[in-house]
Amino acid sequence: MFNLDYSWLADPVYQGWLIRGTLTTIELAFASSAIAFVIGLFGALALTLRIAWLDAVIELFVEVFRNTPPLLQMLFFYFTLSTVGLRMTDPATGVSVPLLSAFACALISLSLFGGALCIEAFRSGLDSLPRAVTEAARSLGYSRWQRFRRIEAPIASRICLPALTNIMTNQFKTTSQASVITVPELMYYAGQIYNDTFRTAEVMILVLFIYVSLVSLLSWGMVRIERVLAFPGYGKGA
Amino acid sequence: MALIATYAGKKRTVQLGIALALVAWVALDATGGGGEGWARVWARLPILLTGNGSGWPLSGGFALNVFLSLCAMAMAALLGTALGFGMLAKNRLVRVPCFFVMNFLRNSPWLVLLFAMLYIIPFNVRLFGVSIAIPAFAKAVIGLALPTAANFAEIIRGAVQSIHSGQWEAARALGYMPMAIYGRIILPQALRRMIPGWMNLYALLMIATSLATVTGIQDVITTLNTLLAMENERVIVYFYITALFLFFAFCYPLALLARRMEQSVKGDSL
Repeated sequence: MFNLDYSWLADPVYQGWLIRGTLTTIELAFASSAIAFVIGLFGALALTLRIAWLDAVIELFVEVFRNTPPLLQMLFFYFTLSTVGLRMTDPATGVSVPLLSAFACALISLSLFGGALCIEAFRSGLDSLPRAVTEAARSLGYSRWQRFRRIEAPIASRICLPALTNIMTNQFKTTSQASVITVPELMYYAGQIYNDTFRTAEVMILVLFIYVSLVSLLSWGMVRIERVLAFPGYGKGA
Repeated sequence: MALIATYAGKKRTVQLGIALALVAWVALDATGGGGEGWARVWARLPILLTGNGSGWPLSGGFALNVFLSLCAMAMAALLGTALGFGMLAKNRLVRVPCFFVMNFLRNSPWLVLLFAMLYIIPFNVRLFGVSIAIPAFAKAVIGLALPTAANFAEIIRGAVQSIHSGQWEAARALGYMPMAIYGRIILPQALRRMIPGWMNLYALLMIATSLATVTGIQDVITTLNTLLAMENERVIVYFYITALFLFFAFCYPLALLARRMEQSVKGDSL
């Protein structure tokens, strides 16, 4: 049925592209997940302060980023950040160029998108903390920040680890959309390769397998981490 | 209780304030030169919504995204139901491959799967000597339906397995046949838990239809890009905000409704 021809894979140029693309994908996914994690942590912490205006602002942020396509968000950041004013004059040529590279724009947009998901995940994690735990911490004289850092965050982050795994795999999958704004990641190089070789089906099948194995590896690893970090009595280990 | 009420009230006031501030900001921007941008958007809005300058017939734009999401959801419902019950099957030969397929589809990026379908499905098929061309739209439907089906199946499995085992045992003790247990006892209960999940999935699918632009169909993003090629740089921002708002206006009510249903289902676990 299919005449699959993988002879192009022997070419070191294409091998180099695939490896470089995969590395960029991994870099983008991990960097954006890390920033998203921080945004989620502080967003959820801010929600626990119960300041009405902050709560409303965060909710708006979360809903906007959750309910619009990440592809459009990326295009929006890519095309508008440069027109709104983030430009600089290239000292060598004197031409006005955008300050942020495509990679930076993709990183910003993916981080905010993931951050919105993380806020939700952490919020439900903090909500599910038993009241007795926070009350015990308060009676032991922990300050608000200490209580969050020493008691709430460690337990809540374990409770919402499965949700975080989901978000991280989702980040990994969403990085493929950064190819649309010419970030040189795996999908982008895949396009380059099939433009060269016209072996579209072969390239796409290979890339699909690379993505599936990366994401499967990640979720397998995260399940292991969940198991190692599990507190007895909390989460699935209970 | 009174405190919570005032807090929610306060929050609502702030939300109203934010909405007013946004409107004020847009109005201020409109008087300061942004008016032209909004005028351009307003002039192009029929094309963005329907793919057609006069607004009728519907030939593309956001309407095509909605239609695409409905087609893909219908196909995903069929595939996903088969896959979901395959994963619940007692027979390992059925269950294990179904799990494998589900995991494969769930772990692959939507965009990559869409691209793969675009290139793996041939341009036309010869059936009994008749050559039938496969339109890009059909490929987009299949490409989007596959990952949706996997998620659909997972929702079915999760909901059926969340039904307390006592229900199974009681039904068996009462002498129900396996099919009757599913049809009369388990599924009616599980369905209540599946519906919010399916609604969230549909919202996710609607968001993912933005990716279908890679297949070249005249969806809202393809239309947007065509339109932007004719506009100057300053106006681009207004067009993107409009496109983002279209998706938001479609998906946010769905998400709210799903959340409300989830809350109402939460209590009835047994």
